[in-house]
Amino acid sequence: MLKTELCTSLGIEYPILQGGMAWIATGELAAAVSNAGGLGIIGAGNAPAEVVRAEIEKTKELTDQPYGVNVMLLSPHVDQVMEVVYEEKVPVITTGAGNPGKYIEKLKEVGTKVIPVVASVALAKRMARMEVEALIAEGTEAGGHIGELTTMALVPQIVDAVDVPVIAAGGIGDGRGFAAALTLGAQGIQVGTRFVCAEECTVHPNYKQAIIKARDRDAVVTARSTGHPVRNLKNRLTRKLSKLENSQEVDKERLEELCVGSLRKAAREGDVKEGSVMAGQVAGMVEREETAAEIIDSLLAEANEILKEKAKLL
Amino acid sequence: MSVLDTIKEIVVEELAVDPDEVTDDASFIDDLGADSLDIVELVMAFEEEFDLEIPDEDAESIATVNDAVEYINENA
Repeated sequence: MLKTELCTSLGIEYPILQGGMAWIATGELAAAVSNAGGLGIIGAGNAPAEVVRAEIEKTKELTDQPYGVNVMLLSPHVDQVMEVVYEEKVPVITTGAGNPGKYIEKLKEVGTKVIPVVASVALAKRMARMEVEALIAEGTEAGGHIGELTTMALVPQIVDAVDVPVIAAGGIGDGRGFAAALTLGAQGIQVGTRFVCAEECTVHPNYKQAIIKARDRDAVVTARSTGHPVRNLKNRLTRKLSKLENSQEVDKERLEELCVGSLRKAAREGDVKEGSVMAGQVAGMVEREETAAEIIDSLLAEANEILKEKAKLL
Repeated sequence: MSVLDTIKEIVVEELAVDPDEVTDDASFIDDLGADSLDIVELVMAFEEEFDLEIPDEDAESIATVNDAVEYINENA
């Protein structure tokens, strides 16, 4: 079976991480992924510390396997969320939207492994100077907040620039993407969009349906003008946003107003017309709801098959 | 070359801006159009040129050409 060194260092069966998506990745999903041999990750997003603690406790009740928390460093509650991470001795955290430098020492003390998400070589180099376990190189194909480079171009450049294991993310929706990531030099993958449609994922059913219905060109980028571009499925909200952005004088206040709370609106209330349905470019490949274990099994089986088959070309 | 001139040269190179735009009090983000990832690259370039390591806490306080000059003069 497909194994890399990353499996040993994280104590997981297969090198598959589930993206820690805010408002979407709760304890139920994280535990299901961890039970299936991957690394399930709770999305802390902007949630207050006690909400995050409740999700961690739920995860621990549902699995004995390692799990993670994605800590959004721009969250207004980030310091308190980190306190919870220390207290609960969370096995792994992934971090986004900034630099976890000031927390690293304490995290090391409690034994939490840190895996920052990066979208450029310079940032990867800077993060690798600290004692991080691995890096997630996330290409612009991903859903949610994104960088500029594609996974295809980003992963090998980061692999060449750092000595720590690299995990590829963005645009990976099946075993073909998994095999490709390994070929680019990654030791593992992070999958988000496909896991949104896992049966165990508690996101609103309308959100899952929107992804299942989506076609290749539906995952569009909005809010570029703010410097924090977001990939989400085309709907009434994204049309309003692009209209605003294309006007002569961008009304930043109105833009901000439309974006605040928009992910929650889609993920929890099920308003997939006016809410932000964050999803990656592989949304067009996701065709049905499956269990987390079925997703992991098919990723592995397909990647195995492809790597074996391609070796015959030699 | 003075620290100021070296820094200006790095800024012109890294941010692909005209030398005229890089005034002493130019802000990398507000005046020169840098984003957060550009800043990381800029800081890495300063580190390389002046052979020092700039911790993140310090990097955050370097917002303008003058800030960079001051920091280098004090720490390099």
